[in-house]
Amino acid sequence: MSRGAGVTTPCAIPGTPLADARAGLDACVHCGSCLQACPTYLVLEDENDSPRGRLDLMRALVDGILPTSDPDVRSHIDRCLGCRACEPACPSGVPYGHLLEATRATLTAERPNPFIVRLILFAFARPALLHAAMFGGRVTRALRLSRLLARLPGRIGFAMAMLESTRSPLPHRTYQPRSDGSRGAVAVLQGCVMEGLFAETNRATSRTLAANDFSIVEAPGQRCCGALHAHAGDIDTARTLARANIIAFERSGAEVIAVNAAGCGAIMKEYGVLLADDAAWRDRATVFAARVRDITELLASAGPRLGAPVPVTVTYDAPCHLLHAQHIASPPLRVLAAVPGLVLMPLAESEHCCGSAGIYNPVEPETSERVLEPKLRHIAATGAALVATGNPGCLMQIGAGLHQARMSARAIHPVDLLDASYAAERS
Amino acid sequence: MTPGVSADVAALADRVRSAHANGAPLRVTGAGTWLDGGQPCVAADHLELAALTGIVAYEPGDLTLTVLAATPLSAIQALTASEGQWLTMDPHGSPDGTIGATVSTASSGPLASAYGTPRDHVLGCEFVTGTGDVVRGGGRVVKNVAGFDLVRLVTGAWGTLGAITEITVRLRAKPEQDVSLAVATLSGAVADVTNGVREWSHRSAFRPLAMELLSPSLARRLTGHSEELLLVRIGGNSTHARAAVDAVSSLGTARDIGHGVWSQLAQAEPKGALVFRVSALPSRIGSLFSTASALAEELGGYAHATVTRGIVRCVVPPPSEPQAVDYLCGQLSALSRDVTVAGERMSAPLWAAVRRMRSTDALSLRVRSTFDPGRILNPGILGDA
Amino acid sequence: MVELAARLAGIVGERRVMLRAGELRTYESDGLPGYRSTPSLAVFPGTRDETIAVVKALAASHTSFVARGAGTGLSGGALADNVVLLGLHRLKRIVAIDGDNARAVVEPGVVNALLTAAASAYGLHYAPDPSSQSACTIGGNVAENAGGPHCLKYGVTLNHVIALTVLLPDGEVVTLGNPDGESEGYDLLGAFVGSEGCFGVVLDATIRLERNPQAVRTLLADFASVDGAAHAVSDIIAAGIVAAAMEMMDNAAIQVVEASIYAAGYPVDAAAILLIELDGAAAGLDDDVARVAQFCKAAGARAVRVAADPADRARLWQGRKKAFGAMGRVSPHLVVQDAVVPRTRLPQVLADIHHIGVRHGVNVCNVFHAGDGNLHPNIGYDANDADEAARVHAAMGEIMQVCIDAGGTITGEHGVGLDKLPYMDSLFTPDTLGAMCALRSVFDPERRANPGKVVPVHRCREWLAAPAARAGHPR
Repeated sequence: MSRGAGVTTPCAIPGTPLADARAGLDACVHCGSCLQACPTYLVLEDENDSPRGRLDLMRALVDGILPTSDPDVRSHIDRCLGCRACEPACPSGVPYGHLLEATRATLTAERPNPFIVRLILFAFARPALLHAAMFGGRVTRALRLSRLLARLPGRIGFAMAMLESTRSPLPHRTYQPRSDGSRGAVAVLQGCVMEGLFAETNRATSRTLAANDFSIVEAPGQRCCGALHAHAGDIDTARTLARANIIAFERSGAEVIAVNAAGCGAIMKEYGVLLADDAAWRDRATVFAARVRDITELLASAGPRLGAPVPVTVTYDAPCHLLHAQHIASPPLRVLAAVPGLVLMPLAESEHCCGSAGIYNPVEPETSERVLEPKLRHIAATGAALVATGNPGCLMQIGAGLHQARMSARAIHPVDLLDASYAAERS
Repeated sequence: MTPGVSADVAALADRVRSAHANGAPLRVTGAGTWLDGGQPCVAADHLELAALTGIVAYEPGDLTLTVLAATPLSAIQALTASEGQWLTMDPHGSPDGTIGATVSTASSGPLASAYGTPRDHVLGCEFVTGTGDVVRGGGRVVKNVAGFDLVRLVTGAWGTLGAITEITVRLRAKPEQDVSLAVATLSGAVADVTNGVREWSHRSAFRPLAMELLSPSLARRLTGHSEELLLVRIGGNSTHARAAVDAVSSLGTARDIGHGVWSQLAQAEPKGALVFRVSALPSRIGSLFSTASALAEELGGYAHATVTRGIVRCVVPPPSEPQAVDYLCGQLSALSRDVTVAGERMSAPLWAAVRRMRSTDALSLRVRSTFDPGRILNPGILGDA
Repeated sequence: MVELAARLAGIVGERRVMLRAGELRTYESDGLPGYRSTPSLAVFPGTRDETIAVVKALAASHTSFVARGAGTGLSGGALADNVVLLGLHRLKRIVAIDGDNARAVVEPGVVNALLTAAASAYGLHYAPDPSSQSACTIGGNVAENAGGPHCLKYGVTLNHVIALTVLLPDGEVVTLGNPDGESEGYDLLGAFVGSEGCFGVVLDATIRLERNPQAVRTLLADFASVDGAAHAVSDIIAAGIVAAAMEMMDNAAIQVVEASIYAAGYPVDAAAILLIELDGAAAGLDDDVARVAQFCKAAGARAVRVAADPADRARLWQGRKKAFGAMGRVSPHLVVQDAVVPRTRLPQVLADIHHIGVRHGVNVCNVFHAGDGNLHPNIGYDANDADEAARVHAAMGEIMQVCIDAGGTITGEHGVGLDKLPYMDSLFTPDTLGAMCALRSVFDPERRANPGKVVPVHRCREWLAAPAARAGHPR
């Protein structure tokens, strides 16, 4: 036994992102408040797969007790969803998300990410490749191949179920709202997956904003938000993408930037932190980040205006990057409340992660599925026809789970429901 | 002389040591009010604790009291009452019974519904083990987890692990209002009446200090009423007490009966009566009270139920005829197959009928042989002879 | 050890036996990270049967082990120093809730707050509410006889355990207490609760639940002096008002909480605040609220306010419950103490603690259960600073001595574990410590369960070595 083991020894990994972030580790008092908030701890039942356990491993790296090559460190850090549900549970304010990214960046420098991770990150950073992939996805979906292939076991089957679930459960809508523009100019982040597979939701985003008197401006040149890269430790690419987005949105003249993907919104609100070490960009990034809003924040700030009745039972699942990273809890509910006839059923443990977590699903399929399992059970218990959630990863993860479990409920973005309500006014 | 140990206790310890050395069993006695309690105990000599009376420390602001073990409960109540406080242990029997006996036998009364049994009151104690070691468990503060719990161990051990010489208990401030009610005209079958009372206590926002349901002959002796009667004691501020009285009135005709009824109840049993308790899951109290009170009344005795705790206490005159003994034995034995039967004061054949091995499991035997390896303290009193 | 690991893996599966440094790291400490010990291996059974098989395998090889729940303890009690760590947090089934009899049967790994959440459907709750309740397990609560703010009115863990199924260190399964009526014979249940994992492992616990009160009022009283707050506590209790909880925080603690995300709106310039909760029947409750407010004002409170609604109430409590964690924000390292003094000695003891802090130049925060006199002096510091660490250590020793001298005890709810071992000799006589050792041997003759904790080893050796000599020893 040793006493006073909290004593900081000289840093074993100087100059790494984790070494720079080590002050955050000191805040942890090992109280364990995070344990029950952590989805991987709850399903894997190993404290190494909890925030406290991972922080212990991070500290062991800094203190040189474990080498960065330690396979246990890797697997437990890899297995983190990055959902940040531990942050609101932490009385000491440990900046867990930041420490996780710093740790992944430190580990990635040592040993590259697995092939599939690199492939995905590579594609998302290259518009042409990304568009081709999304086009392929849409073709597969249009030919109903995804429905067929979703019956396959394992990763392929689940991936196809994800694709299949992106088909909108609502009828196609084409109305043109009138806007007096009194609420200012908004540019919408198109997003990679949103524009690729949820184009209808992107249109609904613009229409509902207009219907609430925002004016929409284009922001050409915008790129992937870089969230996936940052979470996986590829900070450099994330910064490159952030700079490109700052330029594009600044040029658009928009007062605020609307984001309908919670994961994208979360990183864009943190561009200031991401570029904090870059003197030339730091201030611009901070100003930019302050202008980023989730779509539900914007709509809620405008009311939003009530539409026509859409009689449907809905339950709401909070995306982690909306609730835990952006601390947005009630605006999505206000959006749903603006749909007359919509019956909202409460969802147990709606604050728990669904297991999507960016690219976690293809990388850690087994854990992802186990995290998803209780989510599906709670959804079934609500009896709702639709599960509203404002993030493409969650939409696909939950959607695929519902599809494979042969449940009739479908996943949908809250904005689509409001849009359907506005569309119903004209029919 | 061990520091902190009084001359009296040191002398007792010497006495136990020599008894241990000689293998001579000792009957631990205080005021002597409990000598007919427990199972037959074989000991030629007594370990007299009666001299251990008096207050060691009383700090009203701390609501704690340290007394020597043979201090009578009545003396403690008189002392604490002057500070508006009370010891919420109200065992059946004489008020001159000692706190040591109450704790050793873990005896409790109606107030246990609200305040718990002796194990919930004792904060610390000093005792002399069967090898003459003087041990001080617990302390004088109301919350204490330092070390293993020797206090709980000797509480209710009937002196077989050590003779308790000093006790520190938790006191409580007396409530501003303290009202005792008798609730009559509880119509219906006994089981239904009992269940009705229990359901009321679940539904009600009020938590009476005591709720005791009396069988008809006990009700008659205490109040002249000749059906089941419910005694309720309510504490709190005057608004609370008024509302609680109203709420209790929904159960029947309630009248203020004064606190005297509780000491009458405590001292109701005739000398030499057989006393045993039956208990089960609280939800079974209806049928339990119905069966047990019918048995007690049939034998010329009475019964009363602490409804919320699921306990019925039966008091019956000792059967004189052998057939009557056999009958009672048969009844007790049948009862004990299904519910827990605990004897307070019973005759040898009845103890045998209960067939409860109170302390003969391997762990209990090991505890006994650890603290009293010579088995000289009250041998047999727990059915361990 | 490799051989044992293989045998255990045969019981619980490869994944649930851990040997490598990278896997054992987080299991090296509990909620008191000032201590760290590396287990020889860690094993995590997932069922009752697996647990029994594991303990039997450990018994067969005479291997010592330490049971661990969620690792939130604050006395180093769940540290395994080169012995086997037996993790029980996977045994997390709520076996049954009996609403009619207000009780539950739970496995040891059930989290305290989740039991209350499950019981709420029946209008019931589990009363003991240690600050770690969102994470700590019932098994750990039983082992430590855990308390919490609401124990003032409702009692500690001991008062809420009806029966236990216990796995003794030799692999035997016994029932302590009586789930179907009054308990008889020796109160082995009472002895087991609070035995800090030295007597065996809980397989399931029959728990008494409390009915939810009809009404609750939470008051925040703001004092310009610690002394005034302490007197208010005594006056309220003396008046016969049974508060559900009476918590005090001094200025240092208030500052820490208000700087955290759990900022509760406590007055940052107060010398002390009292958080007082009254509950029960609605009738008359506000009379008590008024009297409590009066007592506070008479004792010098600058202001007393009553929580406006459940959200306000939750916020006031959150600040108190998370205070310990919030201290992680202000200093890298922290010592947490747990002592109890007679309530009337609170003003003097708090003043003494203050002087000790000043003399040693350390910053003592007090956040504690004032109604019980259960103090939690915490000192935040930087362990890198050897001089400061030494001063903290010295101050803590003096603080404990002040509490002992005041007629108090060294732990009210955290347990002795490793942290309080050095104080046991000054609190208990050799014979008493010997009796404790002997009691432990009743349950665990080989003393393999949580070795080296609770009672100083030398006391056990002395006492057990010479019973005959002791018996004949003239005093």
